[in-house]
Amino acid sequence: MINLTALVQSLRRSLLHIESRLLQAAGLDRQLAPALAVNGPSLLPQLDKEEEVEQQQHHPGLSDSILWMAAPKKRRTIEVNRTRRRSDSKLLKVKNNIEPCPECGHLKQKHVMCGFCYAKVCRETALIRQQIKEMEGGPLRAPTVETVVLYEGETPSEQDKDKRIVERSRKRPAWFSQ
Amino acid sequence: MRLTLRALISHGRVARKMGLGPESRINMLRNLLTGLVRHERIETTTARADEVRFYAEKLVDYAKRGDTDEKAMKMASFWLTEKDLVPKLFNVLAPRFETHSKGYTRMARLPNRDNLDRAKMAVLEYKGNPFPPLYPVKKDNELTLINQLLRGYREDRAQQLATKA
Repeated sequence: MINLTALVQSLRRSLLHIESRLLQAAGLDRQLAPALAVNGPSLLPQLDKEEEVEQQQHHPGLSDSILWMAAPKKRRTIEVNRTRRRSDSKLLKVKNNIEPCPECGHLKQKHVMCGFCYAKVCRETALIRQQIKEMEGGPLRAPTVETVVLYEGETPSEQDKDKRIVERSRKRPAWFSQ
Repeated sequence: MRLTLRALISHGRVARKMGLGPESRINMLRNLLTGLVRHERIETTTARADEVRFYAEKLVDYAKRGDTDEKAMKMASFWLTEKDLVPKLFNVLAPRFETHSKGYTRMARLPNRDNLDRAKMAVLEYKGNPFPPLYPVKKDNELTLINQLLRGYREDRAQQLATKA
Protein backbone atom coordinates (compact mmCIF):
# COMPACT_ATOMS: atom_id res chain seq x y z
CA MET A 1 0.00 0.00 0.00
CA ILE A 2 2.82 2.39 0.93
CA ASN A 3 4.64 1.58 -2.34
CA LEU A 4 1.73 2.82 -4.49
CA THR A 5 2.98 6.44 -4.53
CA ALA A 6 6.49 5.23 -5.28
CA LEU A 7 5.05 3.03 -8.07
CA VAL A 8 3.08 5.96 -9.55
CA GLN A 9 6.12 8.23 -9.40
CA SER A 10 8.35 5.61 -11.05
CA LEU A 11 5.74 5.10 -13.78
CA ARG A 12 5.55 8.90 -14.30
CA ARG A 13 9.31 9.12 -14.54
CA SER A 14 9.49 6.32 -17.07
CA LEU A 15 6.72 7.85 -19.18
CA LEU A 16 8.52 11.23 -19.23
CA HIS A 17 11.72 9.43 -20.20
CA ILE A 18 9.95 7.65 -23.05
CA GLU A 19 8.43 11.01 -24.17
CA SER A 20 11.81 12.74 -24.17
CA ARG A 21 13.35 9.84 -26.08
CA LEU A 22 10.55 10.02 -28.66
CA LEU A 23 10.99 13.78 -29.03
CA GLN A 24 14.74 13.34 -29.43
CA ALA A 25 14.13 10.76 -32.13
CA ALA A 26 11.68 13.10 -33.93
CA GLY A 27 14.06 16.09 -33.51
CA LEU A 28 11.51 18.47 -31.98
CA ASP A 29 13.22 18.88 -28.61
CA ARG A 30 15.73 21.53 -29.77
CA GLN A 31 14.87 25.14 -28.61
CA LEU A 32 15.11 27.84 -31.32
CA ALA A 33 17.69 29.96 -29.57
CA PRO A 34 21.45 30.35 -30.30
CA ALA A 35 23.83 28.57 -28.07
CA LEU A 36 26.14 31.63 -28.10
CA ALA A 37 25.46 35.29 -29.12
CA VAL A 38 28.47 37.54 -29.94
CA ASN A 39 28.25 41.34 -30.67
CA GLY A 40 30.59 42.17 -33.57
CA PRO A 41 30.82 43.37 -37.21
CA SER A 42 28.89 41.60 -39.95
CA LEU A 43 31.14 38.89 -41.31
CA LEU A 44 29.31 38.06 -44.56
CA PRO A 45 31.08 39.68 -47.56
CA GLN A 46 29.91 36.97 -49.91
CA LEU A 47 26.23 37.84 -49.35
CA ASP A 48 26.92 41.58 -50.32
CA LYS A 49 28.44 40.55 -53.65
CA GLU A 50 25.40 38.45 -54.37
CA GLU A 51 23.13 41.40 -53.61
CA GLU A 52 25.15 43.69 -55.94
CA VAL A 53 25.03 41.15 -58.74
CA GLU A 54 21.29 40.89 -58.21
CA GLN A 55 20.90 44.72 -58.40
CA GLN A 56 22.99 44.98 -61.58
CA GLN A 57 20.93 42.36 -63.24
CA HIS A 58 17.67 43.98 -62.06
CA HIS A 59 18.12 47.45 -63.79
CA PRO A 60 17.20 46.78 -67.45
CA GLY A 61 14.68 44.20 -66.50
CA LEU A 62 11.28 45.39 -67.72
CA SER A 63 9.58 42.13 -66.96
CA ASP A 64 8.27 43.63 -63.65
CA SER A 65 7.60 47.17 -64.93
CA ILE A 66 5.34 46.15 -67.84
CA LEU A 67 2.58 46.03 -65.26
CA TRP A 68 2.61 49.85 -64.66
CA MET A 69 3.08 51.08 -68.34
CA ALA A 70 0.11 52.60 -70.22
CA ALA A 71 -1.23 50.56 -73.13
CA PRO A 72 -4.44 50.65 -75.15
CA LYS A 73 -7.00 48.21 -73.97
CA LYS A 74 -9.01 47.85 -77.17
CA ARG A 75 -8.58 48.64 -80.86
CA ARG A 76 -9.93 52.09 -81.75
CA THR A 77 -12.73 51.58 -84.20
CA ILE A 78 -12.77 53.39 -87.53
CA GLU A 79 -15.80 55.42 -86.41
CA VAL A 80 -13.97 56.73 -83.34
CA ASN A 81 -10.89 57.41 -85.45
CA ARG A 82 -12.92 59.29 -88.05
CA THR A 83 -14.60 61.53 -85.46
CA ARG A 84 -11.22 62.40 -83.94
CA ARG A 85 -9.49 63.08 -87.29
CA ARG A 86 -12.37 65.15 -88.65
CA SER A 87 -13.15 67.17 -85.51
CA ASP A 88 -13.71 70.89 -86.00
CA SER A 89 -10.28 71.93 -84.70
CA LYS A 90 -8.48 69.72 -87.25
CA LEU A 91 -10.38 70.79 -90.33
CA LEU A 92 -9.06 73.63 -92.53
CA LYS A 93 -10.65 77.00 -91.80
CA VAL A 94 -12.32 78.91 -94.61
CA LYS A 95 -11.05 82.49 -95.07
CA ASN A 96 -13.66 85.04 -96.01
CA ASN A 97 -11.35 88.11 -95.97
CA ILE A 98 -9.96 87.67 -99.50
CA GLU A 99 -10.93 90.28 -102.09
CA PRO A 100 -9.56 91.50 -105.45
CA CYS A 101 -7.29 94.55 -105.41
CA PRO A 102 -9.12 97.51 -107.03
CA GLU A 103 -5.95 98.62 -108.85
CA CYS A 104 -4.60 95.45 -110.46
CA GLY A 105 -7.27 92.81 -109.83
CA HIS A 106 -4.98 90.33 -108.08
CA LEU A 107 -6.39 88.75 -104.95
CA LYS A 108 -5.36 90.15 -101.59
CA GLN A 109 -6.37 89.93 -97.95
CA LYS A 110 -8.35 92.87 -96.61
CA HIS A 111 -5.81 93.96 -93.97
CA VAL A 112 -2.72 93.26 -96.13
CA MET A 113 -1.25 95.22 -99.04
CA CYS A 114 -1.57 93.88 -102.58
CA GLY A 115 1.62 91.94 -103.43
CA PHE A 116 1.61 92.90 -107.10
CA CYS A 117 1.18 96.64 -106.49
CA TYR A 118 3.87 96.57 -103.78
CA ALA A 119 6.27 94.71 -106.10
CA LYS A 120 5.65 97.40 -108.73
CA VAL A 121 6.45 100.14 -106.21
CA CYS A 122 9.52 98.18 -105.00
CA ARG A 123 10.94 97.95 -108.53
CA GLU A 124 10.60 101.67 -109.08
CA THR A 125 12.14 102.53 -105.68
CA ALA A 126 15.05 100.18 -106.43
CA LEU A 127 15.77 102.09 -109.65
CA ILE A 128 15.50 105.43 -107.81
CA ARG A 129 17.88 104.16 -105.13
CA GLN A 130 20.35 103.04 -107.80
CA GLN A 131 20.28 106.57 -109.25
CA ILE A 132 20.82 108.04 -105.75
CA LYS A 133 23.78 105.70 -105.21
CA GLU A 134 25.39 106.87 -108.45
CA MET A 135 24.80 110.50 -107.46
CA GLU A 136 26.29 110.05 -103.98
CA GLY A 137 29.26 108.13 -105.35
CA GLY A 138 30.20 106.30 -102.15
CA PRO A 139 29.00 105.03 -98.79
CA LEU A 140 28.00 107.24 -95.84
CA ARG A 141 27.31 110.40 -97.89
CA ALA A 142 23.70 111.11 -96.98
CA PRO A 143 22.81 114.70 -97.95
CA THR A 144 21.40 117.21 -95.48
CA VAL A 145 18.65 118.32 -97.88
CA GLU A 146 15.40 116.74 -98.99
CA THR A 147 15.23 114.64 -102.16
CA VAL A 148 12.71 114.90 -105.01
CA VAL A 149 12.32 112.57 -108.00
CA LEU A 150 11.69 114.10 -111.42
CA TYR A 151 10.86 112.20 -114.58
CA GLU A 152 11.48 113.05 -118.22
CA GLY A 153 10.38 116.47 -119.26
CA GLU A 154 9.72 117.83 -115.77
CA THR A 155 11.24 120.97 -114.35
CA PRO A 156 11.71 121.60 -110.63
CA SER A 157 8.84 123.61 -109.20
CA GLU A 158 8.84 126.33 -106.49
CA GLN A 159 8.84 123.84 -103.63
CA ASP A 160 11.75 121.85 -105.11
CA LYS A 161 14.28 124.69 -105.31
CA ASP A 162 16.59 123.69 -102.42
CA LYS A 163 16.12 119.95 -102.75
CA ARG A 164 18.43 117.38 -104.28
CA ILE A 165 16.93 116.36 -107.64
CA VAL A 166 17.05 112.71 -108.72
CA GLU A 167 16.46 112.31 -112.46
CA ARG A 168 14.77 109.24 -113.82
CA SER A 169 14.94 108.72 -117.56
CA ARG A 170 11.40 107.56 -118.22
CA LYS A 171 7.89 108.90 -118.37
CA ARG A 172 6.16 109.51 -115.05
CA PRO A 173 4.09 106.40 -114.16
CA ALA A 174 0.37 106.98 -113.67
CA TRP A 175 0.36 105.65 -110.11
CA PHE A 176 3.14 108.01 -108.97
CA SER A 177 1.45 111.36 -108.86
CA GLN A 178 3.16 114.41 -107.39
CA MET B 1 -0.27 93.04 -50.24
CA ARG B 2 1.45 91.51 -53.25
CA LEU B 3 1.63 87.77 -52.94
CA THR B 4 3.35 87.08 -56.28
CA LEU B 5 6.62 88.35 -57.78
CA ARG B 6 6.36 91.24 -60.24
CA ALA B 7 8.84 89.51 -62.53
CA LEU B 8 6.54 86.54 -63.14
CA ILE B 9 3.49 88.55 -64.25
CA SER B 10 3.73 90.54 -67.50
CA HIS B 11 0.55 92.63 -67.25
CA GLY B 12 0.99 95.91 -69.11
CA ARG B 13 4.50 95.23 -70.45
CA VAL B 14 4.63 96.92 -73.87
CA ALA B 15 8.11 96.02 -75.06
CA ARG B 16 8.47 92.66 -76.79
CA LYS B 17 11.36 90.27 -76.13
CA MET B 18 13.58 90.09 -79.21
CA GLY B 19 16.95 88.53 -79.98
CA LEU B 20 19.28 87.21 -77.31
CA GLY B 21 18.33 89.62 -74.51
CA PRO B 22 17.54 93.30 -73.77
CA GLU B 23 20.93 94.51 -75.03
CA SER B 24 20.63 92.47 -78.22
CA ARG B 25 17.09 93.80 -78.70
CA ILE B 26 18.28 97.41 -78.42
CA ASN B 27 21.13 96.77 -80.86
CA MET B 28 18.77 95.18 -83.37
CA LEU B 29 16.34 98.10 -83.09
CA ARG B 30 19.22 100.54 -83.45
CA ASN B 31 20.29 98.91 -86.72
CA LEU B 32 16.73 98.97 -88.00
CA LEU B 33 16.32 102.63 -87.03
CA THR B 34 19.58 103.59 -88.77
CA GLY B 35 18.38 101.83 -91.91
CA LEU B 36 15.03 103.58 -91.70
CA VAL B 37 16.60 107.03 -91.34
CA ARG B 38 18.94 106.35 -94.27
CA HIS B 39 16.49 104.76 -96.71
CA GLU B 40 13.18 106.18 -95.33
CA ARG B 41 11.38 102.95 -96.21
CA ILE B 42 12.27 99.49 -94.89
CA GLU B 43 10.71 96.04 -95.05
CA THR B 44 10.99 93.76 -92.00
CA THR B 45 8.92 91.41 -89.90
CA THR B 46 5.75 92.88 -88.39
CA ALA B 47 6.95 92.58 -84.77
CA ARG B 48 10.24 94.38 -85.46
CA ALA B 49 8.53 97.12 -87.45
CA ASP B 50 6.06 97.66 -84.62
CA GLU B 51 8.89 97.97 -82.06
CA VAL B 52 11.00 100.30 -84.23
CA ARG B 53 7.98 102.56 -84.84
CA PHE B 54 7.94 103.68 -81.21
CA TYR B 55 11.66 104.47 -81.24
CA ALA B 56 11.49 106.19 -84.64
CA GLU B 57 8.81 108.61 -83.45
CA LYS B 58 10.63 109.28 -80.17
CA LEU B 59 13.82 110.02 -82.14
CA VAL B 60 12.00 112.60 -84.28
CA ASP B 61 10.60 114.18 -81.10
CA TYR B 62 14.15 114.51 -79.77
CA ALA B 63 15.35 115.89 -83.13
CA LYS B 64 12.66 118.58 -83.00
CA ARG B 65 14.34 120.00 -79.88
CA GLY B 66 17.15 121.15 -82.12
CA ASP B 67 20.80 120.66 -82.93
CA THR B 68 22.11 122.57 -79.90
CA ASP B 69 20.25 120.49 -77.29
CA GLU B 70 22.69 118.29 -75.38
CA LYS B 71 20.29 115.41 -74.71
CA ALA B 72 18.99 115.40 -78.29
CA MET B 73 22.50 115.15 -79.73
CA LYS B 74 23.42 112.34 -77.32
CA MET B 75 20.29 110.40 -78.26
CA ALA B 76 20.88 110.89 -81.97
CA SER B 77 24.52 109.83 -81.78
CA PHE B 78 23.58 106.72 -79.77
CA TRP B 79 20.70 105.59 -81.96
CA LEU B 80 22.26 106.32 -85.37
CA THR B 81 25.29 104.11 -85.85
CA GLU B 82 26.20 105.80 -89.17
CA LYS B 83 27.21 109.31 -88.15
CA ASP B 84 26.45 110.99 -91.49
CA LEU B 85 22.76 110.50 -90.71
CA VAL B 86 22.83 112.74 -87.61
CA PRO B 87 22.84 115.99 -89.69
CA LYS B 88 20.24 114.42 -91.98
CA LEU B 89 18.00 113.78 -88.97
CA PHE B 90 18.28 117.34 -87.64
CA ASN B 91 18.20 119.18 -90.98
CA VAL B 92 15.82 117.06 -93.07
CA LEU B 93 13.49 115.01 -90.88
CA ALA B 94 12.91 117.50 -88.05
CA PRO B 95 11.81 120.39 -90.35
CA ARG B 96 9.71 117.99 -92.41
CA PHE B 97 7.60 117.04 -89.37
CA GLU B 98 7.37 120.51 -87.82
CA THR B 99 3.64 120.79 -88.44
CA HIS B 100 2.91 117.17 -87.42
CA SER B 101 2.45 116.63 -83.69
CA LYS B 102 2.69 112.83 -83.84
CA GLY B 103 2.39 110.09 -86.43
CA TYR B 104 5.57 110.48 -88.45
CA THR B 105 5.68 106.87 -89.60
CA ARG B 106 3.39 104.65 -91.61
CA MET B 107 3.31 100.87 -91.28
CA ALA B 108 1.54 98.54 -93.70
CA ARG B 109 1.36 94.76 -93.61
CA LEU B 110 2.71 92.83 -96.58
CA PRO B 111 2.00 89.30 -97.81
CA ASN B 112 4.02 86.66 -95.93
CA ARG B 113 7.65 86.17 -96.90
CA ASP B 114 8.33 83.64 -99.67
CA ASN B 115 10.84 81.64 -97.58
CA LEU B 116 10.03 78.42 -95.76
CA ASP B 117 9.31 80.42 -92.58
CA ARG B 118 6.38 82.38 -94.18
CA ALA B 119 7.09 85.23 -91.74
CA LYS B 120 4.64 88.12 -91.31
CA MET B 121 6.24 91.08 -93.12
CA ALA B 122 5.56 94.79 -92.84
CA VAL B 123 6.85 97.90 -94.57
CA LEU B 124 7.69 100.92 -92.39
CA GLU B 125 8.31 104.38 -93.80
CA TYR B 126 8.65 107.97 -92.71
CA LYS B 127 5.83 110.11 -94.17
CA GLY B 128 6.86 112.56 -96.85
CA ASN B 129 9.55 110.36 -98.38
CA PRO B 130 10.48 110.95 -102.06
CA PHE B 131 9.58 107.43 -103.21
CA PRO B 132 6.32 106.38 -104.92
CA PRO B 133 3.49 106.06 -102.39
CA LEU B 134 2.47 102.66 -101.02
CA TYR B 135 -1.23 103.48 -101.35
CA PRO B 136 -1.63 105.42 -104.61
CA VAL B 137 -4.00 108.36 -104.37
CA LYS B 138 -6.97 107.57 -106.56
CA LYS B 139 -8.13 110.45 -108.69
CA ASP B 140 -11.65 110.41 -110.01
CA ASN B 141 -11.91 109.97 -113.75
CA GLU B 142 -13.17 113.22 -115.27
CA LEU B 143 -14.46 111.48 -118.39
CA THR B 144 -17.16 109.33 -116.72
CA LEU B 145 -20.76 110.27 -117.51
CA ILE B 146 -21.71 111.22 -113.96
CA ASN B 147 -18.65 113.41 -113.55
CA GLN B 148 -19.33 115.16 -116.86
CA LEU B 149 -22.98 115.81 -115.86
CA LEU B 150 -21.90 117.13 -112.45
CA ARG B 151 -19.34 119.37 -114.12
CA GLY B 152 -22.06 120.74 -116.44
CA TYR B 153 -24.34 121.34 -113.45
CA ARG B 154 -21.59 123.17 -111.54
CA GLU B 155 -20.85 125.39 -114.53
CA ASP B 156 -24.57 126.25 -114.94
CA ARG B 157 -24.85 127.15 -111.26
CA ALA B 158 -21.76 129.35 -111.47
CA GLN B 159 -23.25 131.05 -114.56
CA GLN B 160 -26.59 131.67 -112.81
CA LEU B 161 -24.88 133.13 -109.74
CA ALA B 162 -22.74 135.34 -111.96
CA THR B 163 -25.84 136.69 -113.83
CA LYS B 164 -27.76 137.27 -110.54
CA ALA B 165 -24.90 139.20 -108.94
